[in-house]
Amino acid sequence: MTRGDGLVVICACLLVGLSYVQFWGAPDDGTTTATREVRILSGGTEFARLPLDRDALVEVPGPAGITRVEIADGAARCAASPGSQGICQRAGWLREAGDMAVSLPNRVLIEVLGEAERSFDSVNY
Amino acid sequence: MSTWQRLMPAVLILLLAACGPRPEVHTERLLAFGTVVELSIYTHDRELVREAARVVGEDLDYMHRAWHAWEPGPLGRTNQLLATGAEFSANPSVLPLILEGQRLEADSDGLFNPALGALFALWGFHGDEREEHAPPDEAEIRALLETRPSMADIRVDGIRMRSDNPAVRLDLGGFAKGYGVDRAVERLRELGIEHAILNAGGDLRAIGRPGNRPWRIGIRHPDGEGVLASLELAGDESVYTSGDYERHFIYAGERFHHILDPRTGRPAREARSVTVIHRDGARADAAATALFVAGPARFAEIAARLGIEQAMLVDPQGAVLMTPAMAERIRFEQQPAPPVILVEPAR
Repeated sequence: MTRGDGLVVICACLLVGLSYVQFWGAPDDGTTTATREVRILSGGTEFARLPLDRDALVEVPGPAGITRVEIADGAARCAASPGSQGICQRAGWLREAGDMAVSLPNRVLIEVLGEAERSFDSVNY
Repeated sequence: MSTWQRLMPAVLILLLAACGPRPEVHTERLLAFGTVVELSIYTHDRELVREAARVVGEDLDYMHRAWHAWEPGPLGRTNQLLATGAEFSANPSVLPLILEGQRLEADSDGLFNPALGALFALWGFHGDEREEHAPPDEAEIRALLETRPSMADIRVDGIRMRSDNPAVRLDLGGFAKGYGVDRAVERLRELGIEHAILNAGGDLRAIGRPGNRPWRIGIRHPDGEGVLASLELAGDESVYTSGDYERHFIYAGERFHHILDPRTGRPAREARSVTVIHRDGARADAAATALFVAGPARFAEIAARLGIEQAMLVDPQGAVLMTPAMAERIRFEQQPAPPVILVEPAR
């Protein structure tokens, strides 16, 4: 093996290492606070996907009326929704990946995107 | 050339081949079947998860419309025709559920009765939202129960059917979700997905496993205080829970939930929640309701009749009644663990 061959082998090994970090490292899917996003589903479709670091007020129409989604201080909440029991509003401020508020009567789902750290793969209730 | 030099290219190729995306559990949420549906798939292909969620969402919504007892659609029409007493051709999207409902009612000794839709409506649990008003009068409940609607009143001959009892009003909500999740899991398999959990409003079916470990499932405490217990699933199993916290209303300080006892016409009071593990989601769904109504007194008998080997009941005092097969799977996540009574399913 010549010195050149050795260099090629070293470069290849470095490339493997870099590829590992690139493809097997922590996924960059919007889970960091700076880039975290909130997704609003209306019925079966995505109504909006908004960054949590930009204050906003969104009105989401649904079969029961309007659900108002507020984004402020890096969190989102269901500020008002037509459901009579206030279940959507009671979810409070949504800040962490996986946090969610739902209005079933108005068919609106608000969730903070990103893979949450979870103790369980799924919860039965 | 040394052996090491000869093997070097093969080693490098193997190392580079390992550089594809790492499989992991990806989760998509959607609104379908009138509830929040969570689809978790173990894969390296995130796009496949989005596509599968879209397909499953469409399928579940289609089933929800077809099997909704209180909106225009195949089941709504079936209810209208059953009330006439005349013979008619069954809608193919509804017929398998009616046959399944007949088996489930018979196997549960009538504690699960999908023909009692009128009772459900009388209590106001049939719509998406129940307004806060008084529970129905005892006289109204009694009058309805005296009409004795049963799935056995429906005569099925091939695709023709009729009802002997005009009071039969089908509401398949007690097992349609389980039946629908089973069909949706079949659809996932058609898409080539072998490792997934489909959770529809808290009830789930899990197939395969995420890598070299089992799926980990938490079972919510009926008081809403976190997770009561956990279990591991690997292979193909459904986990269904019926709890008094799901749909309820409070009137004059009293809480009324939606799991109605066909014998009294009122909310069953002998349990807080029942969890069932079974391969068949529809049966698990119905069994959780039937065992809730059965309460501790008939738990063993009804479990045996329904062919359920793994079930757990949390009673109003917080004690747990479960089958030995369930006890082998359950790990309590709260300390101190609740008192446990083991009961073997037996007729």
